[in-house]
Amino acid sequence: MTMLAIWNIDWQTIADATALGGVYALMAVGIGLVFGVLRLVNFAYGQLVMAGAFSLALASQWGWPQWAGIGLCFAVVLALSMLMDRLVFRPLRGHSPAVMLVATFAVAFLLQSIALLWFGPLGKIATSLAYLNRPITISHVDIRKITIVAVVVAALCLVALALLLERTTVGLHMRASSMDFQTARMLGVRANRVIAMAVLVSGALAAVVAVMLTVQNPLVTPDFALRDTIIVLAGVVLGGMNRPIPATLGGFAIGFASGLLGGALPTNQSQYLPTFLFAAVILVLLVRPGGIFTRARLVERV
Amino acid sequence: MRSLVVEHLDVRYGGVHAVRDLSFEVGPGEIVGLIGANGAGKSSTLHAIMGVAPATGEVRLGGVSLRGRRPEDVARDGVALVPEGRRIFAELTVEENLRLGLAARRARGDVAAVLQSVYELFPIVEEFGRRQAGALSGGQQQQLAIARALVAEPDVLLLDEPSLGLAPTVVDIVFDALAAIRDRGLGVLLVEQRAQRTVAVSDRCHVLANGELRVTLGPENANDTETMVAAYFS
Amino acid sequence: MRRLTALQELAGPALLVIVTALLGTLVSISTQGYFTDTLVKVAMVVALYTFVGNSGVLSFGHISFVAVGAWTAGVLSVPSDVKPAIMPNLAHMLRDRTTGNLSSLALAALVGGICALVVALPLMRLSGLAAGIATFGVLEITHNLLRYEEKIGPGLNAFSSVPETTGLRQAAIGALVVVVVAFAYGRSRFGRLLRATREDPAAARAVGVSIYRQRLGAFALSGVLAGLAGGLYVHLLPVNTESVYLDLTFITLAMLVVGGATSLWGAVVGALAVSALDSYLAVAENGSSFFGAQIDLPAGTRVVIVGTLMAVVLILRPNGLTGGREFRVWRR
Repeated sequence: MTMLAIWNIDWQTIADATALGGVYALMAVGIGLVFGVLRLVNFAYGQLVMAGAFSLALASQWGWPQWAGIGLCFAVVLALSMLMDRLVFRPLRGHSPAVMLVATFAVAFLLQSIALLWFGPLGKIATSLAYLNRPITISHVDIRKITIVAVVVAALCLVALALLLERTTVGLHMRASSMDFQTARMLGVRANRVIAMAVLVSGALAAVVAVMLTVQNPLVTPDFALRDTIIVLAGVVLGGMNRPIPATLGGFAIGFASGLLGGALPTNQSQYLPTFLFAAVILVLLVRPGGIFTRARLVERV
Repeated sequence: MRSLVVEHLDVRYGGVHAVRDLSFEVGPGEIVGLIGANGAGKSSTLHAIMGVAPATGEVRLGGVSLRGRRPEDVARDGVALVPEGRRIFAELTVEENLRLGLAARRARGDVAAVLQSVYELFPIVEEFGRRQAGALSGGQQQQLAIARALVAEPDVLLLDEPSLGLAPTVVDIVFDALAAIRDRGLGVLLVEQRAQRTVAVSDRCHVLANGELRVTLGPENANDTETMVAAYFS
Repeated sequence: MRRLTALQELAGPALLVIVTALLGTLVSISTQGYFTDTLVKVAMVVALYTFVGNSGVLSFGHISFVAVGAWTAGVLSVPSDVKPAIMPNLAHMLRDRTTGNLSSLALAALVGGICALVVALPLMRLSGLAAGIATFGVLEITHNLLRYEEKIGPGLNAFSSVPETTGLRQAAIGALVVVVVAFAYGRSRFGRLLRATREDPAAARAVGVSIYRQRLGAFALSGVLAGLAGGLYVHLLPVNTESVYLDLTFITLAMLVVGGATSLWGAVVGALAVSALDSYLAVAENGSSFFGAQIDLPAGTRVVIVGTLMAVVLILRPNGLTGGREFRVWRR
């Protein structure tokens, strides 16, 4: 601990960093799953989270019980994911990665401006789960309940996802499709089903992330989760885009690192957190352009 | 088992006319060979049947048209492809590769019996089930690719240059397996570069040049080098 | 004849810029602002095209150089007597110096180019998604530093008191300069080599073209042009860090792709088409009549409509309105 104490890091910071890493890992998987089958970097992923967060805020404004709010969040995010698949991903299939990236960039911008039109720049407050922000004391360390919840939920989701991918037929089909879609299809793997599954699972993860991020940050604005998406995208590319495990590790690593950095930097430098974070990202990319958690190999050209 | 019928097939990629007015049939319990030089249109024919190449003309399985169908639907209808270069999923285990082949299987239940019948043909696939498929040798990967196609219990098996890059002893294993598969009643469409062996094993062997059918040879022509050379360079 | 054919590729974009400027002189002073803004956007998009269009590598970082250019020109042109009030923490060297309009623009271009060169030296070794994310990182870092580093600018505040020299004429001349430079580069040996690496990197490398060096040069040049566009921008309106960040990155990239990313003609057409629509809707949102049509839109609809249209064009016509081809009246 002495080493960490110099860096101004305590257990609470480590716990919070782990929780942030967990949430980012889920976002990373959500982005990575869709990339795996469609070779499409979904920049609009954060806006799915944003839509879920607004659903939670509206539900708490209408006085709905918690479970109904969470239900609404899942319903809205899943519906929006499927809509995105039909209206955006399908027509884009087979186009160059650059075009797909700019197109999802446009969708992100569009969803954000719709939210701005509906809810205004000041946003809404989601209060129903705010009690999770209260701390509990574990051996003299105060830890917010949401920190523990986030770590546990992230771990459960990742285990469930691993089981789905490793133990079920549709999981096998998803893995094969992300390696060689054409061959998988010629073996009888149904493309639309695999893609729908990836989009749905990715949407469900976005809904989970929406719930956890709104607890930590109850003020929901149109740019909710936008910054997180950019950081997670960097993490996913750092980890290695086209395999689920490296992508997840990349997401966790960048979340954990930014949590730790946030705690470690002296207050007068903490505003420069993005600079430190992205400088580190660029440095790592220069050393391992194909990802740190993969065998050295270049990924998709853009 | 149903027959595969190809009629007046044409494949064009932009300005390139890869296959011209090609017609042939693969019946149950038959091996039909398709040989010719590089670029003669052999692989394009297979891709057209699988629905991944732009084609006109007719492709029927048991009288039902396959034209305009997606590759996964063609596979589920009973046409299995062993692709060129084997296309094994190197990062999956041998067993997982085999299970992928089940994706196209229409019948439900009794997977164990299907696997058993494939293991009889290719014992190494059972033996190395838990290994990563990428760790297998080229010949073993080729056996896995054929096994993977067979577990779908297709009516017709298409093979794209299965002997490419294999040692002579392994080529023997592959060709013996093809004969055994024919004897089980499947139709086999074999695209090959090894002309002589293909003619010998086939019931009929079509020679393609420039996308056109030039001549059809029978097993009796296997040692008739002159005819074959003439057909290749016609 | 061949030279004529080449010149029409310049004439098309240049004429569009001139016509836009002339149209701007016909409308009221308040509407003229939209035309001026459009011309500055043309400069930005063409700057972006110089790298992205010729190299085929996506960059999310170019607005960094627009920002750097804006900061350079802005800091240098705020009159000395008001500097301490607006930027109290400014470094001494910058506090005591003020330059004229033209030299501030020239320095904006120079500093933009130097920054781009420094960034490109390591980054051009990357390609694909890694390059995309790294350029995004550059944008994040630039935004973060400009936002909090008060020694070199107003920090969180906007650049007020910068002389508003970017009227219709300066914007049009600036856009023309950028278009001509981009055209000259595209016709040059270097432009051709870079496009060769875009079309077939393996073949280009095989005949001895250094992909790294060609991209490096284009990136630095497009940094110069982006810096100049940033200088024009800060002389047009009070820029702050948020106005040269994600939204501008998005809108310029979208303009480029909507027009057709692989041609100068596409860059100009895209910038003009999207700006025209955007401005028309902005006017409509204010409830005034425009070209005889009386429309009244609720505030905020504008961004939604523009966003929808851009998404639709990107999804249905990913090669852009021009199909990525250069302007030709006749073809050889």
